[in-house]
Amino acid sequence: MQFLTLEVILNSLREVGSTVLYILVGTAFLEIVAYLWWKPLSTFSEWIDRGLKFLGKPVRHVISTLLIVGVVIFAVGSVGVGQNVSPLAPYWPFAIVAFLVATYISPNAVKIFHWRMRLPYMLLLPAIVGLMLLVIYPLLWELNVSFTNLNPRHFKSPDFVGFLNYVEVFTRPILKQVTFFPVLMRTILWTVVNLAFHVSGGMGLALLLNRKMRLRGLYRALLIFPWAIPQPIACLAWLGEFHFEYGFVNIALQRVGLAPVRWLTEPTANFAAMCITNIWLGIPFMMVIILGGLQSIAGEYYEAADMDGASPWQKFWQITTPLLQPVLTPAIILGTVWTFTNFNVPFFINQNELETSDTLVTALFRSAFQYFNLSSAAAFAFVNFGLLLIFAIFYIRITGVLKGVTE
Amino acid sequence: MTATTAPTRVPVRRQKSTRQHFFKSGLEDSPFKRFLIHLALILSCALAVYPVLRIVSVSLRPGDRLLSTSLAIIPPDATLQAYKTVLFDKAFPVWVWNSLAITTATAITGVILAATSAYAFSRWKFIGRGPGLVFLLTTQMLPAPMMMVPIYILAIKLGLTQTYRGLIIAYSITSVPFSIWILKGYYDTIPHELEEAALIDGVSRLSAFWRIILPLSTPALAIVFLFSFMAAWSDYLLARVMIASERPLWTWVLGVRDFQGQFQTQWGLFSAASVLVMIPAMALFLYSSKWLISGLTLGSVKG
Amino acid sequence: MKKNVFVTMALLAVVTLLATQCGPAPTPERIVETVVVTQKEEVVVTQEVIKEVPVEAEPVTIVMWTKEGEADGGLQFVQALADAYTALNPEVTFEVTNKDVETLREDFLTAGLAGSLPDLLWTVNDHAGPFTDAELLMPVDDLFDLNLYVDSALAAAELGGRTWGVPIANGNHLMLLYNKDLVATPPANTDELLAMGKGLTSGEQYGLVYNQTEPFWLVPWLGGFGGAVFAEDGKTPTLNTPEMVATLQFLYDIKYTTPIIPAESDYNGADTLFKEGKAAMIINGDWSLGGYKDLLGDNLGVARIPMISATGEWPKPYTSGVYFMLPYTLEGAKLDAVKGFISFVTSPTNQALMVAKLNRLPALKAALEDPLITNDPILKGSADQMVVGTPMPTVSEMRCNWDSMKPEMQAVLADTKAPEEAAAAMQTAAEDCITKLQ
Repeated sequence: MQFLTLEVILNSLREVGSTVLYILVGTAFLEIVAYLWWKPLSTFSEWIDRGLKFLGKPVRHVISTLLIVGVVIFAVGSVGVGQNVSPLAPYWPFAIVAFLVATYISPNAVKIFHWRMRLPYMLLLPAIVGLMLLVIYPLLWELNVSFTNLNPRHFKSPDFVGFLNYVEVFTRPILKQVTFFPVLMRTILWTVVNLAFHVSGGMGLALLLNRKMRLRGLYRALLIFPWAIPQPIACLAWLGEFHFEYGFVNIALQRVGLAPVRWLTEPTANFAAMCITNIWLGIPFMMVIILGGLQSIAGEYYEAADMDGASPWQKFWQITTPLLQPVLTPAIILGTVWTFTNFNVPFFINQNELETSDTLVTALFRSAFQYFNLSSAAAFAFVNFGLLLIFAIFYIRITGVLKGVTE
Repeated sequence: MTATTAPTRVPVRRQKSTRQHFFKSGLEDSPFKRFLIHLALILSCALAVYPVLRIVSVSLRPGDRLLSTSLAIIPPDATLQAYKTVLFDKAFPVWVWNSLAITTATAITGVILAATSAYAFSRWKFIGRGPGLVFLLTTQMLPAPMMMVPIYILAIKLGLTQTYRGLIIAYSITSVPFSIWILKGYYDTIPHELEEAALIDGVSRLSAFWRIILPLSTPALAIVFLFSFMAAWSDYLLARVMIASERPLWTWVLGVRDFQGQFQTQWGLFSAASVLVMIPAMALFLYSSKWLISGLTLGSVKG
Repeated sequence: MKKNVFVTMALLAVVTLLATQCGPAPTPERIVETVVVTQKEEVVVTQEVIKEVPVEAEPVTIVMWTKEGEADGGLQFVQALADAYTALNPEVTFEVTNKDVETLREDFLTAGLAGSLPDLLWTVNDHAGPFTDAELLMPVDDLFDLNLYVDSALAAAELGGRTWGVPIANGNHLMLLYNKDLVATPPANTDELLAMGKGLTSGEQYGLVYNQTEPFWLVPWLGGFGGAVFAEDGKTPTLNTPEMVATLQFLYDIKYTTPIIPAESDYNGADTLFKEGKAAMIINGDWSLGGYKDLLGDNLGVARIPMISATGEWPKPYTSGVYFMLPYTLEGAKLDAVKGFISFVTSPTNQALMVAKLNRLPALKAALEDPLITNDPILKGSADQMVVGTPMPTVSEMRCNWDSMKPEMQAVLADTKAPEEAAAAMQTAAEDCITKLQ
């Protein structure tokens, strides 16, 4: 405790405080600028709109889109990698101008800059700026890198190699032996198995808890344990449990009379170990969501079903499941994405780096950082991203979860 | 399907009617059935909690013995030495304090950011709304370890390393996408009539937001706070990128890595630290669990 | 009520902000945790040091990354050296940051991309490979008199004809450690090893334990069978050789044919078994000596890994150690300060101190003759093993070898692959990996 001096305490507070001040000032500045400039920009956009009416809407849309595409390509290409200063970089003022022109030519400009739209855009401004720093810049950088051959042998001045990395994602082994599609299949299997157990386990527990009973609060509190523990610690705990000699899984198996399993060295066993750990980690989240959803289902439905003489099975499938759908769907989408990109569990439970246990994300990580082969890793990451995006759009379309947006 | 015939709900009265419906929908269970249910739940709880208890037992064992053949939770030669060392001889309390300060600031900033942005998404149909929401979803699809290299480069260029600036900004933004989705859903269930009434009375939009919408959405705000807190509390990647070189600024995640050597790990200290660190997280979780249940659902079910 | 809460919190926030802004509270310099002092006497270094560099008036801060951790006292030792040097040269201050080996490598490369490298590295030899590939290091041949150092240590940091690191400690090698309570005299060759081991392995006790998951533990045996992972050029992998097959067969035999090792055991497993007295012998490295010495005291014996009866050769564990590496951006006052510090750390007195505190063999030739080593049976045994070792290759391609050997070795030990198959697979994987490095 002697380290926790008043000086140290105040220092941390000072650091945090100055950051918060920094953020507040920055945000205030942004908002004030936006507020002051809105009217002029709005008037300007109306003026341009009147002037360009002769071009007609489609033409303006096309010009605007082309310009935006050009700006995006420029953005990707102008991010310098290594010690390369991109040859495009000095031309950034042109990109800004092009962007502004694109915005104003577009017939949507009037709608964007309408005075009534000032408030929502102002509300969104800080988040947009933050996301640009944390997401857009890294994205552009990674995209740029994926078209080069950045690795320790081509470090200070990497070369442009076009789509070579993307081709290699599908043709070359990611690490040593395994190629892309087997790992993809394994990752899909991993996601499906986990999600199936998460949902069924969560559903089972939620159904059990959804009644008047004593100790309900206690059960709920204990069942949330896996969720409240920081993931790396939980992984380490389970890693210990799967140890051949000393882990409680094997000890328990032996006490029941079964042979101990080599959880950490055998491929199938290791995959099972990963799944068990992640299932343990993920059930509470689903349970909580489903429990909430169950509580919102009106009792009248069940009473009516009882009067009609429905069996519990029928009640479950005809009432519970459909009514849970609005709750369950976002949870499933998020659950899928999070499981697919889960890094901690496959990484830590696979201490011996069995290639057969790698999911796309861990293979990606190993390939990126063990050899620092950032360029092929970046291409890999984008292929990964593309897959998930397709899934998400597909799932959203099917379940219509975003319908509200188009209202 | 029956989903489309779900009744419209009155959000303000939500809590009461839920409870009424809840207890009504309880089936008349036979004592045997109740016994089975309790049994199942007890088994599940045991499974949920046991691995955690094993960490506790490692922390109570003398010498850095991670592994042992005994299944006892409290080892026969239990000692609190690890806890004493961690609390008094190491800078652990400093790390925990740092983490608390950072995480609280992050959670508050995150809530404010998300609350305002979600309101924009919920109440206005502006250009870029749909793609914006999908974009927020896609931010969850990018593998975090990969993004660390460019984030580090950017942070160096902007001078955001070695202080908390980069870290808090990054943490706040990380939790924003998920928070916006949850809050937007929640706001969607609050009828527009409430604000319209206020607007007619001459109250400004922002004022209506502050005085009407926010108080009604306390449960969802609590959830967002909780998620932001948990995300920042146990994060390693961003902390490593931003402040790894400044020992006085370390969070507990960075500090605890000190106990891990290349081959040797001080398991006793590591587990003691892990147990201590779980306490604030559990406390926060339990405290907000009542909001957790009701809040999560109301946001997603649409009328 | 809610309004009050909000207002209070807002006021609290404002007050906090104001409170922490007032006053010039500077960042506390450093937080020094308890230094675990071993039983050896503290040699007061400050009075006996040879200063080799002229004093620079310009204040300089050296940012040093070290792979030494707290667990074995390494970090404390580095910090103590830095403090001692600052006491002698007040204008030079140090910022010591500990990063574990993998993190250090990743962070250094990332820092290279960002253009903000630290000033000095205290790290392992195989980092020289990727760092020189990326052209981030400065060769040390012209900056120091390298004849003072042990040859094998220098060889482990040599690439492309130049040396890239100044050795600090030598060794990092595996050796045979045994519990004198269970084993009176260590086996001299593998036949004896199997015989003794059989007698000692029953129930919960094992004759021999070692980390079965890392190929680092395979390499000594490979050397004993006359094999090597690289051809003469030091870059072409030679994993599909009869020697490798013989090695894999040997490892298979001690597990299944004449079992003397556990069915599954990683580093922690082997370590625990030996510490709990359930293993008579363990193959482990010099970093573990301190822990075992504390636990077993005089019952700890050190010997060479037993000679391979079939070939009559001693196994050749990899030797490397820790090195100072200099980023290419060093110049001027910082470079002079760094040179001074390096000479300070590798001076005979400080090398002796390191032997005493960390149980590691010194890299300075002169220090090897020190009675501290020759009189201590443990260190003597360690040195004895080291002389039959072979320097660990530091080229980037070595990583490909490690990564290729690991799964195949584990497959053989899991009895899912035959040694011949495994060796062939290793070779293919290594070759593929190396082509990807280009």
